[in-house]
Amino acid sequence: MSSLDTVRDGYRSFDEREDAPVLKGAVGFGLLAALPYIIEIDVAGMELAAALSLKVLILTLIYAYTAQAWNIMSGYTGQFSFGHAAFFGIGAYATQALVVDYAINPWFGMFVGGGVAALYGLLIGFLSFRFNLRGHYFALATLAFAELVRFVIVNMSELHGANGYFKPFPRDYDAAYGLLAFQFESDLPYYYLILGFLLVVTVVSWAVKNSWIGLYFFAIREDERAASSVGVPAFRYKLLGIAISAFFTALGGAYWSMYFNTIRPDTVFALFKNVELLLPAVVGGPGTVVGPIIGSFIVTPMSEIARTSFTGINGLDRVIYGAFLIVIVIYSPRGVVSWPERGRALYRRVRGSGGEE
Amino acid sequence: MRLVSSVALSLPLQGGGLGRFVDPFVQFVIDVVNMEAVLLQLLVFGLLLGGVYALTALGLTMIFGVMDVINFAHGAFLVVGMYTVWLASTTVGLSPFLGIPLAAVVLFVLGVVVHVLTVEPIIEAPQQNQLIATLGVLFIVQSGIEILFSPDPQQVSLSLGSIELGGVFVPRGQLYALLIALGTMLAVRALLNRTDLGRRIRGTANNREGARYVGINVPRINYLTFGIGAALAGIAGGSIALFQRFDPFTGETYLINAFVIVILGGLGSFPGAFVGGLIIGLIQVFGGYYLPGTTAQVLIFLLFIGTLLVKPEGLFGGAGA
Repeated sequence: MSSLDTVRDGYRSFDEREDAPVLKGAVGFGLLAALPYIIEIDVAGMELAAALSLKVLILTLIYAYTAQAWNIMSGYTGQFSFGHAAFFGIGAYATQALVVDYAINPWFGMFVGGGVAALYGLLIGFLSFRFNLRGHYFALATLAFAELVRFVIVNMSELHGANGYFKPFPRDYDAAYGLLAFQFESDLPYYYLILGFLLVVTVVSWAVKNSWIGLYFFAIREDERAASSVGVPAFRYKLLGIAISAFFTALGGAYWSMYFNTIRPDTVFALFKNVELLLPAVVGGPGTVVGPIIGSFIVTPMSEIARTSFTGINGLDRVIYGAFLIVIVIYSPRGVVSWPERGRALYRRVRGSGGEE
Repeated sequence: MRLVSSVALSLPLQGGGLGRFVDPFVQFVIDVVNMEAVLLQLLVFGLLLGGVYALTALGLTMIFGVMDVINFAHGAFLVVGMYTVWLASTTVGLSPFLGIPLAAVVLFVLGVVVHVLTVEPIIEAPQQNQLIATLGVLFIVQSGIEILFSPDPQQVSLSLGSIELGGVFVPRGQLYALLIALGTMLAVRALLNRTDLGRRIRGTANNREGARYVGINVPRINYLTFGIGAALAGIAGGSIALFQRFDPFTGETYLINAFVIVILGGLGSFPGAFVGGLIIGLIQVFGGYYLPGTTAQVLIFLLFIGTLLVKPEGLFGGAGA
C-alpha cells in the first residue's frame, strides 16, 4: 500500500463521518475568510494580489452568491431560468429607490426588494408552470419577464428612467459608515459582508438539498411526470424554488447597488447580466452545493483579469470570455466538480488496461 | 362625436398617474375616428419594417425547427451581414445590392463553421448548453467586429430618396429591403417544398430519429440548415444596412425581437414568422408614434409573454418548417 493509498483511505473514512459536510464547509469558508490575506503573501517576490485584487475577490463572491441562489431553483428543479437579472435588478432598485428617495435604511430596502422579487418570481412561476412551459419556452419566458422590467423602468421617470440611481452618502439617510449603513470606507469589510451573504445562501442551499424539499426538487428535475404520479406536488414545489431563488438573488442585487456607485437599467437588467449571474453554477456544476462557488472562482477572475490586461483593445476580453463559454460547455457539460470523478474514471481505465497485459 | 371631444378635453391632464398609459390609446382611437392621414403613413412604415423583421426571424425559426437549438449567435450573424455590405461598398465600391448576396455567401460559410465547431459536438446535450455556446459565439463575433471596425456607428452611403404615393412617403431603402425580404421568403419556401434537400430538411425537422432510419444524413442536414439560417441572417442584415445606421451591437435588439416573432408565429413556422414580423413592425411604428420613450417595447414583451402562456405553439404552430 503506497502512501497515496493511505491518504486516500484516510480521506474516505473522514468522508463517511456524519459531520464531514459541516467540517468541509467550515474549512472552505475559513479559507475564503483568510483569502484577502493569502493573496498578499509574498512568494519569491511575487504576490497573488498583483493579479487578484480585493475588488476581484468581492466580484467573485457576488457571482458565487447569485449563482448559488440561481442554483436552488434552476440547478435543483431543472427549470432553467434565463431571466434572473429581473430579481437582481429588482433588489438593486428597491434598495436604491427607498434610500435615495425616502432615506430609508438600505437593509430594510434590501428585504423589501427580496419580497418584491419573490412575488415577481411567484407571478412568473405561477403563469409559466400553470401553462406548463418548459425547456426553451420557459427560458425565453423568463428572459422576456426580465426584459419587461427593464423597459418598464427605462420608461418610468419615477424610477429615474434610463439614468438610474447614484448611491447616496450615509449621512443622507442619517447613518455613519459601518454595517448599519451598509456602506464602508474600505473594501475589506465589504468582502466579509458578501462572504456572510454567501455563507447564508450556501447553508440554505445545503439545507434545502438535504431535506425533503430537495428530494422533491430533484425528483421534479429527473422526471416531473413520474414525480407527480407518486404524489409530489410539482407545481407548488417549483413555485417554492423560484420564490426562494428570487428572494436571495434580489439580496445580491441590493448588495451590488450598495457596493458600486451607480445602477442603471442597462447595467443591472442587461441581457448579459442574466448570463453572468448563472454562469458560475453552470461552470462549476449545476445542482451541486460547491459548484457555484468553485465556478465563480474560475469564471470571474478570468473575465476580470482579461478585462484589465487587454485595456489596449476594447472588446478583446469579451472575445476571450466567449471562447471560454464555448470550451466549458463543450468539454465540461457537467461542470468542474465532475472533474475528480472523471479523472478517477480515466485513471481506472488506464490502470485497468495495464493490468490485463 | 360628443364622446370624442370630451375625451380630447381630458388630454391636457396627461403626465401624472395612469393617464400616460391610457392617453396614447385614446389619442389613437381619436385619430382612427377622424381618419387622420398619419395612420396610413404609419401603416406603410409598419409594414415596411415588419417585412424586414420577418426576415430576421426566418433563419432563427428554421434552425430551431430543424435542430431544436436557440441560436443566440443569430444577432451577431445579422451584424456580420451589415458589415459585409458596408465593407464591400466602402472598400471595393461594390453596390450594396450586390453586397447582399455576398453577405449571404459569407454568412453561409461562417454559419457552417460555427455549427461544426460549437453546436454539433453538443447537439445531444441539455438545451441550455447550446444556448450558452451560441451566446459565446455572439460575444466573439460582436466584439471581434468591434475590434476590427471600432464601436462607432457605420452607414452605407446610399441616397435612394423616397417615393410619394397619394400623400404617403415610402422610403426607397426600406421598400427595397421589403422586396428583398419577400423574395427571400418565397425562395426559401420553394427550396423547402420543391427540392430534395428541402424535403430532407423538413423530414429532419419532423422527426430526427425517423430521418436517420430512412437514410438521411442528419449531421449534414444540420450544418446545411445552420448555414442557410445564417445566410438568411446575412441577407436580413444586409437589407437593414440599406436604410439604417448600425454598430456592432445593433444585433442584440433585432435578436430579442426575432425571438418574440419566432414565438409569436410558432417555432419553426414560416408563415408565422412573416405574420409575427408584421405584428412587431406595426407595434413598433405605431407605439413609437403614440407612446412615450420605448414603451412600445413593453407592449411587445407583454405580447410575447401572453403568447407563451396562452398559445406557446404560436399562431401558426405545428405547421412545420
